[in-house]
Amino acid sequence: MSSEEIIDPVVIDETEQERTWLHFVVPLVLTCLALGFIAWVGISSYKATNEGALKLTRDLMEASQRYIGQEVGDYIMPVSAGDMVASNMLAYIPQQLRDKVFYSYCTTMLQKVPQLQSFYLANEQGDFILVTRAQQKNMFDHIQLVVKGDHRFFRHTLYDLQGNKIKEYEQSAGQYDPRKRPWYKDSAGAKGIKWANPFFFPADRQLVMTSSIRFHSDDGHTFVFAANISLNELSGYLGDIKIGHNGNAMIVDSEGRMIAARDMLIVPHLFSSRWAVGQKLTPESRLLSLNNHPIFSLGYDHYRVMGAGAGNITWKGKTYIVLSSKLEHSAGWVLLIIVPEKDFSSFARQSRWQSLKFVGIIIVFSTLLGGLFIRQLRRAERGLRVVAEQKTRMLSESTAVWHIAVAPNVFNPTVEPTVLTEQLVHVTQARRASLWRFLHDGTMMICEDSYDGAQNTHTGGFEVGRSELEQFFSAVEEGNVIEISQAASDERTIAFDRLVMREIGTSALSIYPIVSPQRVEGVLVLEDATPEPHQQYFMALVTAIASIRFLAQKQSEAQFSLQDKGTKKENGKEGNTLSSLQFDNLLMQASELDSVKGTKVYDSVAVLVITFSDPVVENTQDIMDLLELINRLAVDVKTIAEEKQLFAVELAGHRMICMAGCTAQPDLGAIVRVADAALKMREAFIRALSAADLEPVFAMGIDYGPAFGGRLGPEGHVFNLWGQTVSLAELMAESTSDPGIIQVTDRVYTVLRDQYLFRSRGTFFAPYLGIGRAYTLATRR
Amino acid sequence: MKTCVTGPLLELNKAVPSFEESGLPPVPFNMRLMPGDCVFVDVYDISRATTFADVCSGLVPLESGNVQFMGLDWCRLKEKEINSLRGRIGRITKRRSWPDFIPVHMAIMLQQLHHTTVSQETLLFEASVLAEQFGLPGLPTVNPNMMSMMDLCRASCVRALLGKPQLLLLEEPMEGAPKELIDAFLRAVTRARDYGAGVVWLARGGSTMHRYYRQGVTSALRLTDNGLVTVRVG
Repeated sequence: MSSEEIIDPVVIDETEQERTWLHFVVPLVLTCLALGFIAWVGISSYKATNEGALKLTRDLMEASQRYIGQEVGDYIMPVSAGDMVASNMLAYIPQQLRDKVFYSYCTTMLQKVPQLQSFYLANEQGDFILVTRAQQKNMFDHIQLVVKGDHRFFRHTLYDLQGNKIKEYEQSAGQYDPRKRPWYKDSAGAKGIKWANPFFFPADRQLVMTSSIRFHSDDGHTFVFAANISLNELSGYLGDIKIGHNGNAMIVDSEGRMIAARDMLIVPHLFSSRWAVGQKLTPESRLLSLNNHPIFSLGYDHYRVMGAGAGNITWKGKTYIVLSSKLEHSAGWVLLIIVPEKDFSSFARQSRWQSLKFVGIIIVFSTLLGGLFIRQLRRAERGLRVVAEQKTRMLSESTAVWHIAVAPNVFNPTVEPTVLTEQLVHVTQARRASLWRFLHDGTMMICEDSYDGAQNTHTGGFEVGRSELEQFFSAVEEGNVIEISQAASDERTIAFDRLVMREIGTSALSIYPIVSPQRVEGVLVLEDATPEPHQQYFMALVTAIASIRFLAQKQSEAQFSLQDKGTKKENGKEGNTLSSLQFDNLLMQASELDSVKGTKVYDSVAVLVITFSDPVVENTQDIMDLLELINRLAVDVKTIAEEKQLFAVELAGHRMICMAGCTAQPDLGAIVRVADAALKMREAFIRALSAADLEPVFAMGIDYGPAFGGRLGPEGHVFNLWGQTVSLAELMAESTSDPGIIQVTDRVYTVLRDQYLFRSRGTFFAPYLGIGRAYTLATRR
Repeated sequence: MKTCVTGPLLELNKAVPSFEESGLPPVPFNMRLMPGDCVFVDVYDISRATTFADVCSGLVPLESGNVQFMGLDWCRLKEKEINSLRGRIGRITKRRSWPDFIPVHMAIMLQQLHHTTVSQETLLFEASVLAEQFGLPGLPTVNPNMMSMMDLCRASCVRALLGKPQLLLLEEPMEGAPKELIDAFLRAVTRARDYGAGVVWLARGGSTMHRYYRQGVTSALRLTDNGLVTVRVG
């Protein structure tokens, strides 16, 4: 299980849940509540408006109904009232005045009441007088049935409005007998006014209806007074009134026959031809049915079943409102008003549509506002996150600078610059940061330290040559910062990508040259980094520190080179002669040992400890062979030690301690000589052991640092060395990973990494020593 | 919790492990390990060795019988007591036991930190000493994936012997290790037996380590489908 796979789901869930609740659910719920409230208010408003509109509609229709009923009543009333007045008046006046009064009354009524068409007066003796409107305008025709013998004729006398006789003529009456007319016969036995069926009046082809009343005069005669009322006026009135958009009204009698209707005006024209041949409007033709007036027929059925009032009927999928009422002063007539429901509900529908539109608009705006609110919250949250990230980054940079500032020996080139690369990775989030230093006047570059952030490992010591990376070297030497997103496709860094970056699969490269006042000393390389512009100061800081380190390293190497040359020159002069052995525990000693007086602290001692394990011996011959082998090895060690000018080689049982650098002045070349000696000894041991058919039974450990030692014993014949350097060298020898290995401390590695190849074994903690690294010395570069 | 170190250190008394949980044959297992004894258990499948070590550690439920360690029946102990008792067991297992996300020194001390109340400083010191004994320059502080297999083997030895365990459950230890490490390991095991620890050495019959330590084995058993069968030593 790798660390990348370790997730704490609880923390993430809580954060996500909190963010979701705060930035999405709460605003959404609030918006939904607001929308719900608006919708509720809208629906309530709609219901109230709808109910109000329906009530208003009903009131309007009832008012219309009352108005129409009143109008129809007013239309008919003069006839019925006139009949009553005239009959009473004619019944009690003297016979001589009856005709005159009749004419006067009728003429006056015809002048004042336009819907009246004519008046009749007849008795049981067959006397008949008639007043009607003449065909000429503003003229009245007084007609009297005259019987002279067998000759029966009508005497027409025309009067104008002022009562002047205009014309008089006669017209044959044929067999006309008023007592055989329906209006006369129907009144027999009737109490009050009797209405006859409508008919078309011959004179002007108007649809008229006759009301008749029978009365007895004082002289013992029985009279029938009749009045014709034109229904055209009533139909015209019904045609003129507006009931909704498509409303219609009709008056029917108690048997369902049409009395007046909008389309009754066209009836005379429809029946004109039939009238001419003697046909008339029959009761059957006026009877309401589904064939002629389906909707009114249904409305009348509704009236018959439910009685007067309002109701709904449906015809061909459409709903109609029916209002029915009985007309006063009529012969049981019924007023039917039919209106399509949509005419009156259109107001309510419009009101509803308006309310819905209003609610819809508010909901859309509220949703929009809610969305904007959520968006704004998320943006604010994103902004806060960016600010928090910036704050964290600034804190991280400050921490990095602090780490560098408190790191001991950050300018000391012998101490590995791990803090620099670690903090670079930390600040720039790079996958890997490495410091490279030019060697040998720019022909080579050595990696001082390379830190892989993902693996948390430091490596270094490997070199690249100008011949391999010509363009990369040239780019670095230009001294400019280079940012390359795809190193594999840039000519300057193709080779670097192949040699260095491909190993861990990085692609982006940031190059920061490390410049001293004289020249470019090296380069800081970041792989897959995301450096921010404001982090340039941190890069400048790190490159400046690296520059100081590289310069110091350069000076140290120059000094070491001079000293090495001087030592070799001095040794050459003395002919490499060694003094005779003075100490019984030493296999080899240098001439400088003679000058050792007492004990002393040496600052830079290189110690090589070689440990041997016991091989298995089974007989005396084996022991003799082993002793011979040990002696051969001792001779080899002595030869190599002398060759490498070690200070002394001390034998102690299974252990051999080689030392160098026990001089008053620090011997910078001592560690190099010890390392060379260790490599040579290992080669010699392996060769000798393999010749003796033995496994490598030795291990070597090297450390470099201060130690103390000197002459011991009463005669001072024993030289010994102590200190942490010796202990660590022993620890290194005793803890090698395999036999035949040279294990060194990180102090040795730091000094020798430019000249030898090492393999890291890892980081270890030892009590009283702290954390350190162990390396395996492989060979010389 | 009162433990007993005078009687058998580990005793399997007709212990029938749950087949569903372990895959071991549901047959009675009998074994008795006295303090200082080393029992060699020959296994033909090393994964069975791991499961058998789990049985000894009280990690596998039993269908019948019991397993007693230091006189205490695993099944009758409370969770806290079980954890405490397991702190007295050192194991070298073939099961993958090095988490990648913590450094090796923490992984070494984790068992003792979890099961005992020994302070971290004490454990750190003891582990460092053991690490040097097993050929490490110190206590490794890197992650396991950055260490060689042999160094991890050394670290396993350190972990097994940290805290002076009363019982060592060793599953084919030191296979392929260099002689120096084997010597150090055998020295450490012998020291442990000297102070009264019992050792259950689980390995295949022909393993190198078995040959190395043949002389030190007090009894030998074979893990078969019929349970533990006594075999001839040597």
